[in-house]
Amino acid sequence: MTTVQLRPPKNRVSPRAVWLWTVTDAIEGAVTVGGITLTAWAVDTARWGWLPDWLVDRIWWVPVAVACYSVVKLVVAPRWRYRVYRWEVTADVVYTRKGWISRTWQLVPITRLQTVDHTQGWLERLFDLATVEIQTASHAGSSTIKGLPEAQARQLSEELAARAGQLRSDAT
Amino acid sequence: MNAEHEPQPDQAGADLPEPDGSRPESAAPRLAAEAERRLSPLTVVTTAIQHGRSAGLPVLVALFAGDFNPWVLGGTVLVGVLLVVAGIVRYWTVRYQIIGERLEIRSGLISRSRRAIPLERIRGVNVTSTLLHRIFGLAVVRIDAAAGGALQQEEAKLDAIATAEAEQLRVELLRRHSLLVEHEAAEAEEPAAETEAAPAESAEVTYFRMPWRWYLYAVLSPAYLLTPFAVLAALFGFFNQFIDAEVIGAYVIGQADTIWGIVTSRSGLLLLTLVGVVAAILVAMPLFAVVSYMINQWQFTLHRRGEALVTERGLFTRHSVTLEYRRIHGYELHDTLVQRPWALGRLSAIVTGLGGSTSRSALLPLGPRAEVERIVAQALRPFHGKLVAHPAAARSRRLFRAVVPPLLLAGCAAALGWFWVAGGLLAVAVLGVPLGMDRYRSLGHGYDGEQVSVRSGSLARVQATVARSAIIGWRWRQSVFQRRAGLATMKATVGAGSGGYDAIDVDFADSVAFAHAVTPELLAPFLAASAAGAADQAADTSGQEGDRSGGAGA
Repeated sequence: MTTVQLRPPKNRVSPRAVWLWTVTDAIEGAVTVGGITLTAWAVDTARWGWLPDWLVDRIWWVPVAVACYSVVKLVVAPRWRYRVYRWEVTADVVYTRKGWISRTWQLVPITRLQTVDHTQGWLERLFDLATVEIQTASHAGSSTIKGLPEAQARQLSEELAARAGQLRSDAT
Repeated sequence: MNAEHEPQPDQAGADLPEPDGSRPESAAPRLAAEAERRLSPLTVVTTAIQHGRSAGLPVLVALFAGDFNPWVLGGTVLVGVLLVVAGIVRYWTVRYQIIGERLEIRSGLISRSRRAIPLERIRGVNVTSTLLHRIFGLAVVRIDAAAGGALQQEEAKLDAIATAEAEQLRVELLRRHSLLVEHEAAEAEEPAAETEAAPAESAEVTYFRMPWRWYLYAVLSPAYLLTPFAVLAALFGFFNQFIDAEVIGAYVIGQADTIWGIVTSRSGLLLLTLVGVVAAILVAMPLFAVVSYMINQWQFTLHRRGEALVTERGLFTRHSVTLEYRRIHGYELHDTLVQRPWALGRLSAIVTGLGGSTSRSALLPLGPRAEVERIVAQALRPFHGKLVAHPAAARSRRLFRAVVPPLLLAGCAAALGWFWVAGGLLAVAVLGVPLGMDRYRSLGHGYDGEQVSVRSGSLARVQATVARSAIIGWRWRQSVFQRRAGLATMKATVGAGSGGYDAIDVDFADSVAFAHAVTPELLAPFLAASAAGAADQAADTSGQEGDRSGGAGA
């Protein structure tokens, strides 16, 4: 039995994106662990009666577990995400695949593009990377390509905007 | 003060923003400028009353509390005068005029503003009149227009003009708008928007006028059935503002012995009262539902005017919503668990530029499904295809998701020693079995060559049908659990309605083939045909070196 399948998009993002994601995840993880540690500390000092004793006694396991998870995720997720993350722009379609544990495939026809944005956050600037945001009339149909080298992102967004202008129909 | 927008200084009328300046002016159809018009003089009265309504209660309170002393009396008179002046200023300063391809609205006394709305950007013109407006024979015209991208939206309001004039303005705006749009479409040599064969411009066809029987379906409409409770809650909140709860609490505690005496000696009477109250609520519920439903949906009509569908409804406030066919990309059929045994359904349009506004996109009130489908066949385009059921793995997933979370919570509650809660959650988990089965039965997707239809939900079920040409992309999402079962959730993205419609838990490979059948030009470049057995359908679309290496480690 022959079935058709989606092949992955052709291009990968910049390998520097791995480090960008590592730093982003590290910040995010630090904030989460900090928040949970605070909560654990509150539980430990207040020792509310409505919480069972076995939980209160072992409350410090929670931040430790979360910290371990964060570290493992920090090592695994960016690399894994880099392997999954692909993009491709053909004459008519922008095709992306992203995610790590869960994955998303997205097809956006260039005729339906409304705006093409090129953005660069402060962290991205540190790594000389940029994001291309593609918006259609539908919020769910809008897409982003993250972790492109700055120059490439700029070129791509200009190219897409120009082509969308040529092909543009009603866009809804 | 009239039009709800940022005041935009009138720079001698020289540099009015013309977002579509690129289109050659000469090629456009010639449209004459109309005379400048004003709001109705009666606006003075309605404006004063509208503004006065919010000030009324405080002023009355101040009058009574202040024992009608001259200061308060003088202040009240001053407020009255100011209200009338505000009305006069609005009447005096607001002018509107259709000039060629745009509608201009001027307003403001000191900071004058002038606003131009290009007619081709108009998405809808709605005429509403509240009870107050109807007493004076007036109506409010609201003009929805696209601003910038299609995601932005602006609204201009003319409050208020004579009803006949409002109707005339609406017809004229939409006429010019459709002329411009058709012209542009012809210029671009695009296929016209896929609606049925257009009848004569002025033709008005009535598809639906609400029969008496339909008001009774309010009883099966949860939102209306719960109104008595909403009313009670509102009343309670209202009285709460005047009554000090602590005082009452103190009084009750003070009289505790007496109350206890009554409870013990007259328990029969008390029980009787309680039963009476419950019975009254039970009777009141459907009664209230029908009455409030009547007020909202009174004489609901759906008709076609030119290239647009128009709905009208309401007893006190008459809402009229115009939805152009060009903006209607499909429709949704809603029903709930309670309505399904009676084969009832509710119809709404999938419209560009309304966002999630459910009340304005409503095409039909709750009614018999067969009748709704008959009207769909007349006013829109019926879906001829069959909905394909989703794979058996989808059933396990629906069941799992309906049963396991309450079961886990029940376990937690039991561990904490909250046995009552645990019992309740256990009951929910048991009910999850039929719920999950029903959710699976609801799942389906289909394509009839022109329209795509997807269905999901159980307690509230929706079947969305969207024209092929309205689909502006596809998205697949796959979680780890879905990957193991070879499933994915496919979303057809649409620049209207909620932005996209999901086919939940479809077979990934099948859904790619499905999308390919709908929009071959979109999918074709990215397909890789592979001779694959059933075992290999498990979502490994990459077929490349390292892509999946991490997947097993999850």
